[in-house]
Amino acid sequence: MIRLHGLHRGYMPGERLEFRYSVKDIDTTSISAIEASVVWFTEGKGSEDIGVHCFQRLTGDSITQHDWMQPMVIKTELPGAPLSYEGTLVKIRWCIRVRVYLVDGTEMVAQEPFYLGAITKEV
Amino acid sequence: MQLPPRNCPSITRRTVANPIFCGLGTYLDPPKERDDLMPRLVRLFGKKRGQRMTGWWLAGSVGEAFWFAAICVVSVLSLSTIVAWQVFSPETHPYPIGYGFWLLVLVSSIFACIGAIGFIIRVLRVAYSDEHRSVLADRAIANAQPGFGIQATAMPSIPKLSGFTDSPGVRLAFRLPSDRPDLRELVLGSIFVLAWDAMVAVLVAITISKARYGVYDWFSISTILPTFGLIGFLVTKWFFRKFRQATGIGGTTVEVSELPMIAGGNYQLHLVQYGRLSVKKLLIVLVCEEVATYHFGTDTRTERQEVYRHPVLEQGRCRIDWGKPFEAVCQIHVPENVMHSFQSPHNSVAWKILVEGEVNRWPSFSRSFPVVVYPRVASPRQLVPS
Repeated sequence: MIRLHGLHRGYMPGERLEFRYSVKDIDTTSISAIEASVVWFTEGKGSEDIGVHCFQRLTGDSITQHDWMQPMVIKTELPGAPLSYEGTLVKIRWCIRVRVYLVDGTEMVAQEPFYLGAITKEV
Repeated sequence: MQLPPRNCPSITRRTVANPIFCGLGTYLDPPKERDDLMPRLVRLFGKKRGQRMTGWWLAGSVGEAFWFAAICVVSVLSLSTIVAWQVFSPETHPYPIGYGFWLLVLVSSIFACIGAIGFIIRVLRVAYSDEHRSVLADRAIANAQPGFGIQATAMPSIPKLSGFTDSPGVRLAFRLPSDRPDLRELVLGSIFVLAWDAMVAVLVAITISKARYGVYDWFSISTILPTFGLIGFLVTKWFFRKFRQATGIGGTTVEVSELPMIAGGNYQLHLVQYGRLSVKKLLIVLVCEEVATYHFGTDTRTERQEVYRHPVLEQGRCRIDWGKPFEAVCQIHVPENVMHSFQSPHNSVAWKILVEGEVNRWPSFSRSFPVVVYPRVASPRQLVPS
C-alpha cells in the first residue's frame, strides 16, 4: 500500500511543495524501483500531454537502505506555469504520482491532485 | 488546508496512464474484487469507447512489439541473404547488380529500420513510465541543444518569446508577426493551372503541326481542344480571382508596447492598414482560443474553441489610399484572472489580436497576430525551471 501525506489543496506558483510518501505492507526486498514525480498533464478533447516538474527514481541500495517505517520526503519549488486550468477543450491538472515496481513485474500507482494557481475555470 | 494521509490502492498501470482525476480530499476506495483488473479476452469486433480498452494493454503492447520485431528480423534476414548471395555466388544470383538488386536492398533496409524503430519505441513504452520517458526526452532535447537547454526547460509550456520580439516596431517596442494565411489552395491551384494550360498548349501545337502536313484530327479539333481549352480558361480565371483576393487588400501591421503581456496589464497598440480600400468596418479584437489536436482513427484532427473575445477598437466607414494608410492607437487590457498562453504538443491556449475588416468590392478579411500572455503572479524571471 502506498500512503501519501502532507499535500495541500492548492499552491501558488513559486511556492514550496513538500509531501511525504510511504510504502506499507510490501517487503522492500521485492521492490525493484520507486518513482515519485510532480507532474502536470492535459485532459480534454486533445491527445494527452504530460510535463514532469520533479522526478525521483529509487533503485537498488537506495530502497533497501531507507527505513520505510519513515516516509520519504520530496521537496520542490513549484514553477510559474502552467497553472491548473479548466477550459472547454483543454484542461490542465497537476498531481503528485508515486509508482512502485515489484520484482515480479507488478506495478502499483498512487496519485493525488492539487491546484496550482487560482485559474481553475475557463476565462 | 492540508489533506489527511491517503491510502492509495494499487492500480494496474494503464488504468492510470490516462489518470483518473479524483476529487480533492476524497478517498479512492480500493476495488472489492481483483477480477475486474484481470486481463479480459480480446474483443476483435466492437467499438472502443472513451479511454476504456477492449483488452489488456500489455497484450496489445507486446503484440505490437512482436510485430515490429518480426518485420525487422525478416527484413534483416532477406537483406543478408541478398547481399551474401551476391558476394559468395554472384553467378547464380537471380538479381545481378543493377536496379533490381539495389531496389531489393533499399526496400529491405527500409523495412529493417521501420521494424527496429517500432520495436524500440514499443519496448520503451512497456519498460518506462510516462514520467520517466518525459524526463528522458527533456534531457535528450537539452543535450542536443546545449545553448538552449536551460531556456527550453525553464518555461516548457509557454511559447518562446524569441519569435515575437525579434522585430522592433516603428512607433512602439515590438512589431507583431502575422499568422500566415492558408495559401495551400492558391499554390496547388497555380500548379494545376500551369500544368493544365501547358497540356492544352502541347495539344494545340501537335494539332497545328499535323495540320501543316495535311493531317486533320477532326475529333481532336472539334471536341478535345474546345473542351480542354474551356476548362483551361475557367480554371485560369478562377486562379486570377483567388490571386487578386489574396494580394489585393494591402498589408496590416500591429505594434505593441510590451511583450510578454501579463494578465491584468494594460498595453498600447498601434495598427496600420495599407492598401486602396473603401472600408465599411474595421475591428480590432483580443481573442483567446483553445486548440486541441487528437487522433480519430488514422486521421489527425484539430479543434478550436474561442473562449474569450473582447473588442478593442471599432472603426466605421473610412477611405484608405496608397501612401495614406489608416492608423490607429489604442489601449489593450488583458483581464486579470485568465489563463496564460500555453503550448504543449497536442494542446494549446493561444492569445492573439485579430484585425477584421469589411470593405467595398472585396470579401471580408481577418488577420491574426499572436501574442504571448504570462500569468500575473509570475514574471519571466520568477519562473522556476522545471
